Amino acid sequence: MSLVPYNGPWTRAEAAHLLRRTIFGPTHQQIGAIANLSMQDAVNQLLTVGNVSPPLAYDAGETVVPQGQTWVNALYPANPVSNQLCEMARVKSLTAWLMKNINYQSMDISQKMLFFWQNHFGVAFSSDARATYSYLELLRTQGLGNVKQLVKDVTINPAMLMFLNGNTNSVQHPNENYSRELLELFTIGKSDQIAPGDYSTYTEMDVAAGAKILSGYVVNGLRSSTLTAAQALFVSFLHDNSTKTLSYHFANASITNGGANEFANYIDVIFQQPEVATYLCTKLYRFFVNYELTNEVETNIIPGMVQTMLANNYDVSPVLFDLFTSQHFYDVALRGSIVRSPLENVFSLFNATESQINVNLATDYNIYLNMYFAASNMGLDFINPSSVAGWEAFYLAPAFSRLWINSTTIKFRFDLSTGLFVFGIPINGYTLKIDTIPFLNNLSLPSSADAVISDICELFIPKPVDASTHSDLVNILTNNLPTFEWTLQYNDYLNNPSNPTFVDPVRYRVQLVLDRVFKMPQSQMF
Amino acid sequence: MKRRRFIRNLALGSASLPFVSNGFGMQAIRQKLFNFSTGAEDRVLVMIRLNGGNDGLNTVVPIDQYANLMIHRSEIILPQNQLLTVTPEVGFHPQMQGMKDLFDQGKLSVVQNVGYPDQNRSHFRSMDIWTSGSLDVNETRGWLGRYFDSYNPTYPSGYPNASYPDPFAISMGSEVTATCQGIAANFSHAVSNPNNAVNLYQGGFSNDGSYYGNHVEFVGTIIEQTNSFGQVIHSAAQAGNSLSALYDPTNTLATQLKYVAQMISGGLKTKVYVLSLGGFDTHDNQADATNLQAGTHAGLLKKVSDAIAAFQDDLQLLGLEQRVVGMTFSEFGRQIESNASLGTDHGDAAPLFLFGTCIQSGIIGPNPTIASALPDQAGIPMQVDFRDVYASLLRDWFQVPSNEVQQLFSHQVQFYSLAGTCNVGNEEIPVAEEKILIYPNPTPSNIFIKVNLAEGMATAEVRDVNGATVRQVFNQHYSDGLHTIPCDLEGLPAGTYFLTVINAGRTRVEKVVKTKN
Repeated sequence: MSLVPYNGPWTRAEAAHLLRRTIFGPTHQQIGAIANLSMQDAVNQLLTVGNVSPPLAYDAGETVVPQGQTWVNALYPANPVSNQLCEMARVKSLTAWLMKNINYQSMDISQKMLFFWQNHFGVAFSSDARATYSYLELLRTQGLGNVKQLVKDVTINPAMLMFLNGNTNSVQHPNENYSRELLELFTIGKSDQIAPGDYSTYTEMDVAAGAKILSGYVVNGLRSSTLTAAQALFVSFLHDNSTKTLSYHFANASITNGGANEFANYIDVIFQQPEVATYLCTKLYRFFVNYELTNEVETNIIPGMVQTMLANNYDVSPVLFDLFTSQHFYDVALRGSIVRSPLENVFSLFNATESQINVNLATDYNIYLNMYFAASNMGLDFINPSSVAGWEAFYLAPAFSRLWINSTTIKFRFDLSTGLFVFGIPINGYTLKIDTIPFLNNLSLPSSADAVISDICELFIPKPVDASTHSDLVNILTNNLPTFEWTLQYNDYLNNPSNPTFVDPVRYRVQLVLDRVFKMPQSQMF
Repeated sequence: MKRRRFIRNLALGSASLPFVSNGFGMQAIRQKLFNFSTGAEDRVLVMIRLNGGNDGLNTVVPIDQYANLMIHRSEIILPQNQLLTVTPEVGFHPQMQGMKDLFDQGKLSVVQNVGYPDQNRSHFRSMDIWTSGSLDVNETRGWLGRYFDSYNPTYPSGYPNASYPDPFAISMGSEVTATCQGIAANFSHAVSNPNNAVNLYQGGFSNDGSYYGNHVEFVGTIIEQTNSFGQVIHSAAQAGNSLSALYDPTNTLATQLKYVAQMISGGLKTKVYVLSLGGFDTHDNQADATNLQAGTHAGLLKKVSDAIAAFQDDLQLLGLEQRVVGMTFSEFGRQIESNASLGTDHGDAAPLFLFGTCIQSGIIGPNPTIASALPDQAGIPMQVDFRDVYASLLRDWFQVPSNEVQQLFSHQVQFYSLAGTCNVGNEEIPVAEEKILIYPNPTPSNIFIKVNLAEGMATAEVRDVNGATVRQVFNQHYSDGLHTIPCDLEGLPAGTYFLTVINAGRTRVEKVVKTKN
């Protein structure tokens, strides 16, 4: 039972929905480009991961590599104070770079998949920026690949070993932190507690056995002045060599001593349980489609995704291809069914207005760092998920994505909009304000007030707006004058493209419209 | 304070028996004469969530079990001679001087071995259980959400309004709290700093019934509430005060509690404040290897202890002590045995703290018993169900009738006397059905009104001798039973007034005399 393919009309509306769910803040032209492809070609393009270049040194605290070069394979200073300052510089560079990648995203799903996996594994910052960088690159580059392999790679990744104490889990003193979350959150998921210590899919006995199986790994080279990367090392005398027996949920499987590779054998056993596919597909569904699992979703959609996942031995890409070409995905009832996370909010603002930051290296990184803080203030600190379960908005019933919005965070959203469209935000001597002229010129018919508002609503509001909302926005654009006045004003600007007398009012009216749009409840969904 | 000393070391005979009997004999009569208690309408509950699973055994150390603890957790155990002994059997972590002082003053209690049956060691499931107050996986509402829902079934539609101008609950920070999740919306309002004014653009919106439409309505309502609640919160913060010098500005929990004191003193009628401190998931480096009294856990407990001590000091200086009780909670305790990383893994039951002048002070319940030999992964078995702590607070503190409290929980509630020591005044003064009791009377400023109300709307007004209404006291829905309601007469000229209460078709009038102040 795989998913029923979508065979309705393929228009800008469907293209916009697909793009809103798979990239951050699609532009007017990107929607057009996707609408001009076939649905299959469009989805295939979105499922092809592009490249990004590594983060660059820009801050004075970086004393090992010159500004403008990357530090991801560099040593740290031996002096403890310089070491600390260097790390701070690298963390700033790393966090800014993460935002830059979203701002300069290629037209593929990789940034959303990185977000998905960052939420899935919930790994917080590791204390070595190089380790966190390579961990995040693992998620970004392998996010559409084989999830069984990804779980294996993540298990012994230095960032994860440090995060859930795998690096101190030894035969002498097992530490259950990772073994519990591996089952509960990363693979099979838990269900009702049906007996003491029995969570329907695994038991406390499996948690204890898992800690023994996973024992023996340590992390070496953290912020080292002699090693260019943090490394995971297997130390055999720290490993529990006994034969471990799993619970009846895993057919009482025995895991014999496998040394450095024993953890992988264990993960293979876990992935033999089809509940793993159900757990993962449910998470993918909730992230990309809707939080509510209706009867239809549970009986048709999730099982269809599971079938594809199992048929492809846990590859993610085929599952998402089926989902993004399915009839269900394009159901009008699901448009706008998710409240924008802070990242979607910030980058809807920058990306859909075609505002790619390009001043100079240090200023760009500082601006991106501020974007990072903006999202952080709204509740999403990207390199430090709220907990190992990720952000509550992705799992906590019944509110789910509504948890992004409350009296504190909505005020941040409004303030950010006012700052970027009306007042400008001073950042290290540069005033960041969104220039709406290039954005306007790329719309379908900039000289028509009605067309401008229709295009803007298509970009930022997931469902058509009613006539009175449309006319309210037109009135902001025209300053309550007849619409032909806008046409005249725009044409005056075209004839005098460098004369502020004609350029500034046009730019300003569009800024006011966008500021209003970002303060409408309707634009908080995608 | 003497009274409290008598009841400091109450042994918990068995989990099925109440800790103490009600009634304090002569002491209670003294209370009645000298201490006007406040009514439930005026009371505030402060909840502090210790996120991650607090290690109870290194917080409230059972000194009589020390030898066996040494067998299981020598890597992290606190040196016995450094413990702050509060009773011969119980010592607090050395960083908890502030809470130890409160304990000595009878303003802090420890409820031992709190948990729930069949402990779930998942952070997420366990926190869901604690916030919902239910073991049922299908329960999506919080325990306070159910309480608020029970008399505000249409919330958030039509709120705030004249009867409920203030948020029901405030969650300090940028997240609402799951304890207040109701059917349709969350009853808590997130506040990061009440001193900031809020005035957000409020546009029109409509709901087409789809997921999107429902979200639109939700966000639109939040914007409206942010404005109206923001205004009352800001006014309260402006009107309010904070007097204690003990708040450490670098302690985030202390700063948040300071804001809470400021809002309460500014007259905000919010009943519940929820605060949160993370970092208690101490799988590693819980204690410093070279100095076991230091380390992550020590730093966290110091934050909690200092913050609560400063807050309680502030309440005393503000004259608000009788209006506020607080509690801490955490999703679980940790295992008895430490791990190799100078840490501890997820366990079962743990102690929780209650604080305030109206709580039943002392150590409530016996120390856990630590055997010399333990099965793998052993935690502390639970003796007190946390749901019964909640239920008892609702009954004692918010004076919700016990049958109504029972309806909020799916298990058979066992009530304990935990926060009823200020109720003695209420209980001792009988009020006849047809009467209103006003005290103090005559008064220089404020009075309490004690009145029996029938379920439904009730209004109260202060009228002058000419019959003109000079002050509206309340106009809202009340539950059936005896209520004690504060009334502010500040600003009225000295003279004779008549207090009129109208409820269920009955009008009651009582004279009140305001003196010069």
